[in-house]
Amino acid sequence: MNCAEFQQVLPGTEKGGRSAEQELHLQSCSVCSDLVSDLDFIVREARTLQASEEPSPQVWQSIQAEIAELRSELDLIAREARALQASEEPSPAVWKSIQAEIGDWQTEMASIAAQARELQASHEPSPRVWNSLEIALREEGLIRQPQRETVPMSSRRWRLGWLVPVATAALVAFGVLLYRPTVVNQGEVAQSASPRVFHTNNQVSVKDDQELLNAVGTRSPAMRVAYENDLRDVNAYIRDAEQSAAADPNDEEVQQYLMDAYQQKNMVYQMALDRSLP
Amino acid sequence: MTDARKSRGDKLSEAEAIERAKQGDAEAFETLYHLHKRRVYSLCLRMTANTAEAEDLTQEAFLQLFRKVGTFRGESAFSTWLHRMSVNVVLMHLRKKGLPVVPLEDTFDTEEESAKKEPGAEDPRLAGSVDRLQLERAIGALPPGYRSIFVLHDVEGYEHNEIAEMVGCSIGNSKSQLHKARLKLRDLLKMSRAEKATKP
Repeated sequence: MNCAEFQQVLPGTEKGGRSAEQELHLQSCSVCSDLVSDLDFIVREARTLQASEEPSPQVWQSIQAEIAELRSELDLIAREARALQASEEPSPAVWKSIQAEIGDWQTEMASIAAQARELQASHEPSPRVWNSLEIALREEGLIRQPQRETVPMSSRRWRLGWLVPVATAALVAFGVLLYRPTVVNQGEVAQSASPRVFHTNNQVSVKDDQELLNAVGTRSPAMRVAYENDLRDVNAYIRDAEQSAAADPNDEEVQQYLMDAYQQKNMVYQMALDRSLP
Repeated sequence: MTDARKSRGDKLSEAEAIERAKQGDAEAFETLYHLHKRRVYSLCLRMTANTAEAEDLTQEAFLQLFRKVGTFRGESAFSTWLHRMSVNVVLMHLRKKGLPVVPLEDTFDTEEESAKKEPGAEDPRLAGSVDRLQLERAIGALPPGYRSIFVLHDVEGYEHNEIAEMVGCSIGNSKSQLHKARLKLRDLLKMSRAEKATKP
């Protein structure tokens, strides 16, 4: 191996990685030996240059200044980002608009509700519907005479309560007067049409009931039985109420109970008369 | 550093400083700077052979550190990570300046220089006859491409595969150029020694 050949392969050979032929040439050639020695020296010395220099203090000052500026820029960006975020919130006008919309909606809903209530009231059946229904249910034995109820009492109504049996008696008399000719003679009509004497407002006239039942029975014997039952029930209701009222005249609830009983009988009479009319 | 820590005379460990620097702690960042400034600055100085540029690049490298320390995951040593980043800063700077990062082929293999390498010429060995200052100057006198390869391999200790990746050349090319850089450096040192010998 000559010098040219050795130096040609030198870049690819590291220290300790040389072949025997290369080592032999190195031992015999001072030129190549000096070259390798110099290169090894350069490598050794080069490594000592690592981290050998100290930057001037100005470098750190410049870095600090740059960092401060960078932080300032970042803060500015953050502030602008927050401002951007705030600007994306809806303005108060939007909320007012929403509130106005809600108000309109509530008004509209209230109007609809009112209309619905009116519509509901317009379809409410008259009290007579329930009366008929109640009577029919009672005829079929599905309901019984209502027991004593707790209804608020009006003292003014109680003061007029004595009018109910009077009206009932008048109605009975009127009904009998109208239909008597078809079933009884005129004398009896006159007799029945004459005012009944109600010695007390709480007294129930059994005779009037009988006349009413007779009048109903002439048109429908089956209904007579039903009305007979109704009257029996309502008379019991009245008696019960009268007894309670007598026991405690100052009990407004009992007075209301009594008035309801009279009204109930009045209703039965009214229904019987309606049914008996041609 | 906090007052309490200062009063105890404690110093942040590198790991503590890294974690605190990630949270934006300026004092921790200063600690990292003082731990690594010499190696980063020396790298920049050797690669550029210019003090002003080296300071600028050192500043830029640490600013990069400030910006990117949050991305450090500890997959490699912090010093490795930082110095690799510093090398990239320097190489980027050289490319921007239009200086060759990869050595140009046959930069100094001129006839004139080949004549100097005439076999048989008697020349004392460099060892013991040149000092570190001469070596520094000789490295600074290397063409930029050779200097980069030489500094990265022989000064900073990077392997050829790492250098090839960083500068964008083959491993064989890195080895070849490193050898040429060493030969050039040897010539420069001999010239320097000769000049020194002739001076009164």
